[in-house]
Amino acid sequence: MRNKFMTFGLALIGAVVSFGSAFAGPAGEVRSAPWQMWLQEPASPTAERIVAFNAQLLVIETLIVIFVLGLMAYIAVRFNAKRNPVPSKTTHHTMLEVVWTVVPILILVGIAVPSLKHLYFADSIPEADMTLKVTGNQWYWTYNYPDNGDFTFDSLMIPEDELKAGQPRLLTVDNKVVLPVETNIRLLLTSNDVNHNWALPSLSVKLDTIPGRINETWTRIHEKYAGKTIYGMCSELCGVNHGFMPIAILAVSKEEFEAWTKQAQQTFASDAPPVPMTRDIAAIDNVETVRVADASAAR
Amino acid sequence: MANAADAHAHDDHGDHYPGFFSRWFCSTNHKDIGTVYMFVSMFAALVGGGMSWFMRLELAEPGLQYLTGGAPDMQFYNVLLTAHGFLMVFFVVMPALIGGFGNWFVPLMIGAPDMAFPRMNNISLWLLIAGLALLLISAFVGSGVGTGWTVYPPLSSSIYHPGAAVDFGILSLHLAGASSILGAINFIVTIFNMRAPGMTLHKMPLFVWSILVTAFLLLLALPVLAGALTMLLTDRNFGTAFFDPAAGGDPVLWQHLFWFFGHPEVYIIILPAFGLISQIVSTFSKKPVFGYLGMAYAMVAIGVVGFVVWAHHMYTVGLDVDTRAYFTAATLVIAVPTGVKIFSWLATMWGGSIEFKTPMLYAFGFIFLFVMGGVTGVTLANSSADLVFHDTYFVVAHFHYVMAIAAIFAMFAGWYYWIGKMSGKQYNETLGKIQFWMFFVGVNILFFPQHFAGLAGMPRRIPDYPDAYAGWNYVSSVGALITAVGTMLFFWILYRTYAAGTKAEQNPWGEGATTLEWHVPSPAPFHTFEDQPDMSGKQPAE
Amino acid sequence: MAKPQQKDARRNVRTALACASLVAGMVGLAYASVPLYKLFCQVTGLGGTPGIEAAAPEQATDIDFTVRFDANINPTLPWTFKPVQRAVNLKLGEEGLAFYTATNNSDHPITGTATFNVTPLKIGQYFVKIDCFCFTEQTLQPGETVDMPVTFYVDPEIRQDRSTEEVTTITLSYTFYPKKSETDGQVSALKQKSTPVDIGG
Repeated sequence: MRNKFMTFGLALIGAVVSFGSAFAGPAGEVRSAPWQMWLQEPASPTAERIVAFNAQLLVIETLIVIFVLGLMAYIAVRFNAKRNPVPSKTTHHTMLEVVWTVVPILILVGIAVPSLKHLYFADSIPEADMTLKVTGNQWYWTYNYPDNGDFTFDSLMIPEDELKAGQPRLLTVDNKVVLPVETNIRLLLTSNDVNHNWALPSLSVKLDTIPGRINETWTRIHEKYAGKTIYGMCSELCGVNHGFMPIAILAVSKEEFEAWTKQAQQTFASDAPPVPMTRDIAAIDNVETVRVADASAAR
Repeated sequence: MANAADAHAHDDHGDHYPGFFSRWFCSTNHKDIGTVYMFVSMFAALVGGGMSWFMRLELAEPGLQYLTGGAPDMQFYNVLLTAHGFLMVFFVVMPALIGGFGNWFVPLMIGAPDMAFPRMNNISLWLLIAGLALLLISAFVGSGVGTGWTVYPPLSSSIYHPGAAVDFGILSLHLAGASSILGAINFIVTIFNMRAPGMTLHKMPLFVWSILVTAFLLLLALPVLAGALTMLLTDRNFGTAFFDPAAGGDPVLWQHLFWFFGHPEVYIIILPAFGLISQIVSTFSKKPVFGYLGMAYAMVAIGVVGFVVWAHHMYTVGLDVDTRAYFTAATLVIAVPTGVKIFSWLATMWGGSIEFKTPMLYAFGFIFLFVMGGVTGVTLANSSADLVFHDTYFVVAHFHYVMAIAAIFAMFAGWYYWIGKMSGKQYNETLGKIQFWMFFVGVNILFFPQHFAGLAGMPRRIPDYPDAYAGWNYVSSVGALITAVGTMLFFWILYRTYAAGTKAEQNPWGEGATTLEWHVPSPAPFHTFEDQPDMSGKQPAE
Repeated sequence: MAKPQQKDARRNVRTALACASLVAGMVGLAYASVPLYKLFCQVTGLGGTPGIEAAAPEQATDIDFTVRFDANINPTLPWTFKPVQRAVNLKLGEEGLAFYTATNNSDHPITGTATFNVTPLKIGQYFVKIDCFCFTEQTLQPGETVDMPVTFYVDPEIRQDRSTEEVTTITLSYTFYPKKSETDGQVSALKQKSTPVDIGG
């Protein structure tokens, strides 16, 4: 019985997942596709587990909904006033009440066990090979590579009228975060102003950046994503341009990453004091809020 | 029940209505106050619903179509989504289910002449109306409150939201909270002390049980919100630093306090709906409620567990893993009592002789929506799965199904169920059924696609989205259009009922309607049950 | 018979007062939660709150461990603030010493205070500070640069806890803020800058 259920479940999961992957984003990019109905393709070990877990949940939940809907349909047909003019007077059935308390408990335990396993997996931070520090700002991200030359750069959204052909709207940034594949990456997150959230659906990374403290998590990008861009968006309401501070990671091979860090140390080497106050205005201009800047200047 | 008829003897002096102003503005009558609550709720629903409709209009296509003015318009969008949340939670659902139906029918159902403190009842009403006014004003002060209904600092601090708008919003919530606390005290005293002789707690109708549990949740949850709001207010204006990291505060503390209130709040919204649906399901199945005690104590259990699961709203703030594991497990537990309720409703209908009148259709729809939203809630309870779902449209779809639309369905169900008793006029059954189907189809087209947008990764609270999400958003907006038409049809039915409804019988629903409100005439006279009926013969399981 | 009896009215008031005291109690609890939350964080290390002790244990172990250093500065504070070393390697239970350096880039003396936490968040209770510049306010003269020490140790108990046994690296992070009262002017300057939301309505 159990085996049968498992086989059926696994088959359904397989169907759902393959259905989902039919909605993969455009070549070279990891982001959602039009009419996508399932999670973005998993590019990290955590994401692989979470996507599979969600497929299991979907199976269980779909069965529950079908079961209840079936009962409701049967009730509507069988027990309407025409079909059943004389109502029964049953108001108790102890066995039934025990069953519908105990069976949900068993199902929930069945959910909780893998759920907690995945939770602890996502949290058990492996020996990291490098560190990326992410700082949220209104409304752009600052990235710092402390272990690879300690260079820092900002990453701002490219406004719509400056996009080149093929660049996705609201997702394209001026400086992508370059990260090597098959590398354990420690992520340190903080914020300079309000809460933001650095979220990459296909990596199953989603963590708030909170001023005055750091948060830590990790990720590891699967090697088949070398050369691809992985997209995400800010996921905590952070003010006016919350919808306009995307995240774009360019995954590269380890060798390319070495080469890139050497070059980036030159490009981004500046001893400017780390007081990005003027960037507020830059960020605002970037999303066409000139009118406001004018207004506050006028005042 | 024989003695219930005694109430009729007093009808002759039960209809001394005061003049218009003193009747509607200075009312101390639970029925009139309930009626005013209902109309306040309908007004707020038009405003809050209009806001959501505008947001769906903007989101119908990718790119900015209407909010083209740069940052002020982006802020306007944030103000809309914030006000939509506040309005729907504090000024639509709570006033209708607790203030409206609660005031009208708790005294009637327990055979009490009125609420325990009629003047305090009036104060509750006017505090709420003042709160509503302040909230609407806050949208026009400076740049408005663009923080989301969760008002997280530092975004809600004086640096990032200067101007008085947030202060207005805080005061608005203070007034709405004070209103609800006074109302809750009133309900508790009424239900504990003023039941008809012989009506023990275990003989009370489930709607009264639901209001009792809700009142306790209000008493325990709202003061915490009031405290947190006061801290935010002094942080903003008087230099304290409860939530300011620069001076030793912690913005995460706000989230703990807010959700300690916020999670019970969702049960405050949905428990009265549970009670109402139980009454309606029982009435139209012509059967007593199945597993009455289980139903009552399931609500108590939901209320209790509701206080120890708050941090499942905060899985991504950086809680350590053991904390998240606890909140995952505790949250999953809630599925057990809610499951008991679903199955008990089904068992109540099982073997029944069901009349699918409009209220029953809405109750049926409620159960479907609640199951849909319930199972996605099981997904979201998992901290691990939340790594992909937090702050996406999946969450939006979930809570609209399980809480928002389900509560609205209960409101419609209650309105159609009791309008004859409240107005003395019966609605048009055909129009009512058409309205149900429009609304049911509309909200499902509106919210079901949002699951897909959320799975695909679309964040919430954004005025524009990457082009890939265009498809589901368009479908969703079409659903919003249908829902809006369905809402308009409701107001037409409301108007027709008052203007040209047929005279309602004392009990239009037949043998299934056994609670005390069906033992007084329609419309219910101004004063009822001044002689309390003797309920000692009443069966416990109703 | 229409009016409730005197006795009933008294009973109603009693119940109402009981409810009101419940409300008052919950408001009190909300305020009590502020110090309680702080205390709870310190005791349990919740949110990566480090412990504080007077000295390291007598006996260090021979297990290797790494402590990394991270520095942040609030945009309203015109300082540079960096760790002198990116990381130190030490043994569990051994007392470690590290320095941060801060420079005041402005033309007037400024006092700052630092917030801090350690990650992974779950190891807060095993990271113990002995002495730290963050315990007091720091005042820097114009152009002045100071080295600021922090001494600490990592509790060997970290290996006994199942949820932290795999951790071999801890990050200690500071964020420097201007002391609140001294920077009202600057804060309002920032206010002006982040006022795009204010459309002057």
